[in-house]
Amino acid sequence: MTMRDVLSGLKETNARYSMFHSMTDDVDPGDAKFLFSAKDNLTSKDMETCAGSKILIGYRPAFDAAAISKMRDAGGKLIGKCNMDEFGFGTFSYNSGLEIPRNPYDLERACGGSSGGSACAAAVFEGHVSLGVSTGGSICCPASFCGVYGIAPTYGRVSRYGLIDYGNSLDKIGIISADAGDLRRYIRVIAGKDPRDPTSCVQPELRDEGRKMRSVAVPKEGIEGLSKEVEAAFKESLESLKGMGLDVEYVEMPSLKYAMPAYYVLATSEASTNLARYVGMRYGQQEGDHSLKFDDYFSSFRSEYFGDEAKRRILLGTYTRMAGFRDRYYAKALKVRQVVIRDYKRVLADHDAVLAPTMPFTAPRFDDISKMSALDSYKADYLTVPANIAGTPHMSAPCGYDSNGMPIGMQFVADHWNEEVLFDIAERWQRSFEARRPEVKA
Amino acid sequence: MKIGLEIHVQLPTRSKMFCSCPTTDAPAPNTHVCPTCLGMPGSRPVLNRKVLEYGIMLAKMLGCKVADVTWFSRKTYFYPDMSKSVQITQYDNPIGEGGVYYLGKKPIRITRIHVEEDPGKTKRVGDLSSLIDYNRSGIPLAEIVTEPDLSTPAEAREFLGQLIEDIRHVIDLPGDGERSIRCDCNISVGKERCEVKNVTGLKNVERALTFEVVRQTKILKAGGKIDRETRRFDEERGVTISVRKKEFEADYGYIDEPDLGIYHIKEMADSIKIKESPQKMAARISAEYGIDQKMAKQLVSASVGLAETFEAVAKESGVQNAVKWVAGPVSAGWKAMEARGGTPDEAVGIIRRFAAGEITDTECAMEIRCAMTGESAEAAAGASQDLERIVSEYLDQNPEIVSDYAKNEKAANKAIGFVMRNSGGKHSSAEVVEAVKRLIESRMRSHGVR
Repeated sequence: MTMRDVLSGLKETNARYSMFHSMTDDVDPGDAKFLFSAKDNLTSKDMETCAGSKILIGYRPAFDAAAISKMRDAGGKLIGKCNMDEFGFGTFSYNSGLEIPRNPYDLERACGGSSGGSACAAAVFEGHVSLGVSTGGSICCPASFCGVYGIAPTYGRVSRYGLIDYGNSLDKIGIISADAGDLRRYIRVIAGKDPRDPTSCVQPELRDEGRKMRSVAVPKEGIEGLSKEVEAAFKESLESLKGMGLDVEYVEMPSLKYAMPAYYVLATSEASTNLARYVGMRYGQQEGDHSLKFDDYFSSFRSEYFGDEAKRRILLGTYTRMAGFRDRYYAKALKVRQVVIRDYKRVLADHDAVLAPTMPFTAPRFDDISKMSALDSYKADYLTVPANIAGTPHMSAPCGYDSNGMPIGMQFVADHWNEEVLFDIAERWQRSFEARRPEVKA
Repeated sequence: MKIGLEIHVQLPTRSKMFCSCPTTDAPAPNTHVCPTCLGMPGSRPVLNRKVLEYGIMLAKMLGCKVADVTWFSRKTYFYPDMSKSVQITQYDNPIGEGGVYYLGKKPIRITRIHVEEDPGKTKRVGDLSSLIDYNRSGIPLAEIVTEPDLSTPAEAREFLGQLIEDIRHVIDLPGDGERSIRCDCNISVGKERCEVKNVTGLKNVERALTFEVVRQTKILKAGGKIDRETRRFDEERGVTISVRKKEFEADYGYIDEPDLGIYHIKEMADSIKIKESPQKMAARISAEYGIDQKMAKQLVSASVGLAETFEAVAKESGVQNAVKWVAGPVSAGWKAMEARGGTPDEAVGIIRRFAAGEITDTECAMEIRCAMTGESAEAAAGASQDLERIVSEYLDQNPEIVSDYAKNEKAANKAIGFVMRNSGGKHSSAEVVEAVKRLIESRMRSHGVR
């Protein structure tokens, strides 16, 4: 498929998969060297940016996100902005005020979330690379459900300038692609210090010294609660890894089970403050009852345009930082984060990565998702959340398929700033693992 | 009665606290704005480090313990002129805590000082709408919080006036600094306190507090109870108005600001030496040179440069000469010297020559006058002889002034008043005062009166 083919079939393809909320009208790639897409919470001057929310309909940012402008500078052409859970709040890209992307392997199933549209585009378009964003697992989860590679680098590796915030201390911009080689290629493009995001300025250089992944630790806590088919595929993959010469050792990481509650406290606390700015003034959606007083106006406006999950997280996050509760929840969660980081450091002192399945099950059907409670879907993130709260780089690689042909993924977690071993294992794994491409129709 | 103040001072940075927008007066509303100070989705803050420097200077000036490590917090509240509905401020670990600031001899405890961003401005237009101007959004502020150590509205005003003078000097706040200072006033006559928010200017602080004293006292006398509440001050009518009761106070839900990280400011704080505040300088000069506090204060409040000249002369030519010449003719000519952009160096040299016995009393006075005002020697001589002649004649006719003066310096006022009226406006009041006192004192010496 040439770039021209992709562009000329873009609208039809999107009609089938709904990976994009907005997309280019161009059919001529011009002098582009490659095509890319970006999650719709990354600002783009030439396309509306809504982050999956009705409240931002009409927002045309005055500036490009740092990651998008670096991709453009490297010769990339932005072809679409990818559908997602509203502000990243979800595991299936189903909590959206806009369109819901469909899984390329089965249109009745979810792509995973919250970077679902990005993983979908990466699976559907040949030679395509997509920018995703992970807060609690939003790159690895959809990469796993869509049978592609996805990497969330170390927190602070990629500038968050131009990212519409979910949880600022957790958000990481990364790469999703069907080609493992793209992880190294494009993290190199988007990484680096950016004075416009001070948290990106403490990073050491991205290493490229030919470091290999030689040993992995499998936490016992990471292989509990798995579906039978996920468990079987993961065990088989461990054997393949041993065959490739890697040491595999089972370890205990007791802190992992505390990562989940701490994550939801921190993420919602930050999110509830980030979402405070959406009051129906200045940008985005502004259709409200202008005869109301300000307090009544923004309350009714937010009630109308925020989705249920956004409201739930605002309430949760407001509660956990209220006077009287702050120490019990928010302050405690900050401490738990340090405990989780210490646990990773302890294990990673002896191993190159911590390895477990990415998700405990494969992509669920939309009708099953609609029956899930909020808590059920929060729990589904228990394997991806720990690395995210620790800010350690992590990568999901396809490692099998269930009886319905749905992809299964495994997730490697490396030490801070040590993306290189993840690039290495992704590239080597790709050579030995036989991936099945979805049957793509326009 | 207990009064505590929360004082907001705009810091004189060139660009805003978290973006590069200018802080100067804007040509029109919403022109000094960018995605960051408008809170556009995807924008983020980058700290202007100068803000930390100013914060440290003020913390030191207020005798606070400067934190080794400081960071920012998010204070969430919904108001149209707060562009992110989140104010970046400091909650835990502010720049400075636990200070003491002296109002004369009375210690006023300083709870804390922190830095934060200013919101925009809301302007009501008619009954149904308001206009918002975000030019002010993101301008850096320091907030100084005192303990309730002030006892009267007048004392609060005096405290604020002195504090502003010190702040202006220490961080080079522009002359209109008072305009950019806003105050939240906490006052309790009985047990419960009320807060009057956002009062601008010294006079209004005193007015608002005085109104509250009367209001609260009346309620208590009538057997009523003061409700804890937030009030605002209506400048035109001079009254405070209830805005909300305590149970409706916002819970700001502070969390750490994750975009900015943690600042290790110990080294920065150690390297920052602040200028001595005018109040401290006056106290020190008075103690160090054994001159009375009133004179020290007069020197400093006339100009810190004048006080520095006093110190230079005192060290070089003795305190007596410093009192006689710097507090005298140098002070009298100071404004004229500043106006023509001169320096006091020449005058200091003249006093040195006087101290060495190279020139006489009269010559010294005349030369200093020339050095300060830039007049020619002839003109100065003429003018000064003229002035001295009038003074001398008057003292000849009214010798009791000289003997009265020994008991009470106010005796000189009669002579000063006369000379002012009869010298045809050729001499500034400072010059007249100086000449009268000098000539009286020289007669006292020759008469052996002391």
